[in-house]
Amino acid sequence: MNENIIEVRELKKKFGDFIAVNSINFGVRKGEILGFLGPNGAGKTTTIKMIMGLLSITSGDIIIDGINLAKSKEVKEKLGYMSQKFSLYPKLSAIENIEFFAGISGLGKKKIKSKIDELQDIVQKDLLDRSVDKLPPGIKQKVALYASLIPDPDILLLDEPTSGVDPEVRRNFWQEIYNIKKRGKTILVTTHNLDEVEYADRIVILHRGNIIVEGEPSELIREHGVDSVETLFKEAVRDYEGN
Amino acid sequence: MKGIKPVTRKELYHIFRDPKSLIIIFLMPVIMIFLYGYAISFDLNNINIGILDYSGSEISGKFIGKFLHNDYFTRVGLKSGEHQSLGTYEKKLKAGEIDEIIIIPSDFSKKVRSGIPVEVGFVIDGSDSNTANIIYQYNEMVIFDFLEEYQNIRDIFKVNTKIYFNPELKSAYFFIPGLIAVLLLMISALLTSLSISREKESGSIDLIFISPVKSYEIIIGKTIAYVFVAFAVESIILLFSKFWFGIPIKGNLLVLFGFSLIYIFTGLSLGIMISITTPDQKTSMLGTLLVTMLPSIMLSGFIFPLTSLAEPLRLISNIIPATYFLKIIRGVVLKGASVSDFLFNGLILLLMSVILIFLAVRKFSRMRRIAG
Repeated sequence: MNENIIEVRELKKKFGDFIAVNSINFGVRKGEILGFLGPNGAGKTTTIKMIMGLLSITSGDIIIDGINLAKSKEVKEKLGYMSQKFSLYPKLSAIENIEFFAGISGLGKKKIKSKIDELQDIVQKDLLDRSVDKLPPGIKQKVALYASLIPDPDILLLDEPTSGVDPEVRRNFWQEIYNIKKRGKTILVTTHNLDEVEYADRIVILHRGNIIVEGEPSELIREHGVDSVETLFKEAVRDYEGN
Repeated sequence: MKGIKPVTRKELYHIFRDPKSLIIIFLMPVIMIFLYGYAISFDLNNINIGILDYSGSEISGKFIGKFLHNDYFTRVGLKSGEHQSLGTYEKKLKAGEIDEIIIIPSDFSKKVRSGIPVEVGFVIDGSDSNTANIIYQYNEMVIFDFLEEYQNIRDIFKVNTKIYFNPELKSAYFFIPGLIAVLLLMISALLTSLSISREKESGSIDLIFISPVKSYEIIIGKTIAYVFVAFAVESIILLFSKFWFGIPIKGNLLVLFGFSLIYIFTGLSLGIMISITTPDQKTSMLGTLLVTMLPSIMLSGFIFPLTSLAEPLRLISNIIPATYFLKIIRGVVLKGASVSDFLFNGLILLLMSVILIFLAVRKFSRMRRIAG
């Protein structure tokens, strides 16, 4: 359980003179849900994009399952990704989206068909052919999550998957994430909602490109003598700004 | 009124902080002014003529000399293996290699000496009605000059001019096939030019980047999808041309569609290239219009004959896909030309498509590598 499947070492990203991620170090343990928290602009998406290989690294290393990302692009096949910005083609139906993502993931006809069959557990039959932009948000999100699992990745990176949805949809979505965890997957999930911390095994709080808090939520609360992670976050930010 | 200032200031920031759009906006009028004001004219100075002098006499030589000793006409000779016959020159006329045939009968000299009326034949390519009219006027000018010198034959000298392919010199016959060439390139390029920039804007490109799908599979897959759309557009325009404007389609439609397929690929791959190099859909669209419409209208022979372009622009016209397809479509539609007449043009378009697809794949792979 303590083995790190992702190791981030001295990871830095600069955009011109602006340092978006400032030489951070953290690990994601195999089979855990790591909550990557912080306000907008903290550097969460930048970090996740560097792990996905979608953004070049200024300096530092990303080790995935013992392999340096810079040395082997194949290691990216272990990763699944669902982004806050885009997850599904809105004018395509759920089936068409799954067909597309399964197709570009290199799945054969039989596997694509079984993926579509499985989709019926998530989307009720009469909604399957409806374009995704006309689906209820909760269903849309489930389909997007399902799509990100098509290549059967060991690690799932979810970038703000719960932003802009109501609390009930959010709760159901986290239930789905737990189910995925039960299947042995590792999950790194970013969010700016501090109340979602309760769902994560461990958390990393990022502020202005720096890690200001890291650990298990209950332990952190006990150690710092605060009533919630939100309070802890506020104190950590105050300390950081004070420095 | 207080609100005007901040709004204007904000808009100015927007305008001047988008350098790519700004370049296009400023470049377009500059190019137009340069083209219209300096480089383009309706004057012809290189009319390619084929001469069939069956007389081979001194006076027929003098007559031909009047055509060749000026800046307007250039004699196109025969290649090895070609026979000196009307059929050979008609084929050249069909393929667009010459603009006019001059036919001097075998009894030209004898009749002139005997004072018997004599007729010289002119066959002009009418597919470009404007050029044909100008050639007709230039002929008149040269003949007038010749008869000034040989005033004694003024009354017996007759001219028989035939206009091939568009005898009524209808401008629609000239413009509509040309317009199809311009529109087809523009639409093909527009179709794909938005596709990658749209994926960049929405973020969906990230999901494609992380998938194992190869860059060439993405580019070719996108291109193929739009071939069908472009073909449908071409079919609609052709139907309108035939049934609304009465343009006769003299050649084989399959030949036209075969060449169109290559041309559409050129347009689609051009669009993909633009799409990769531009940051968003707006710039992509502006860039496509600039790259396809302006050169295709000005420099392909659509309006202005290629021979009337200044030398640097004539060189540029060689890299414009419409230059080649325009000859093909006018040849097939108006002259009934066949595949063999335009093999060279077809091969150039094919080469352009292959190069553009290759560059697009390379650029896309590079974009993918830089991202990661």
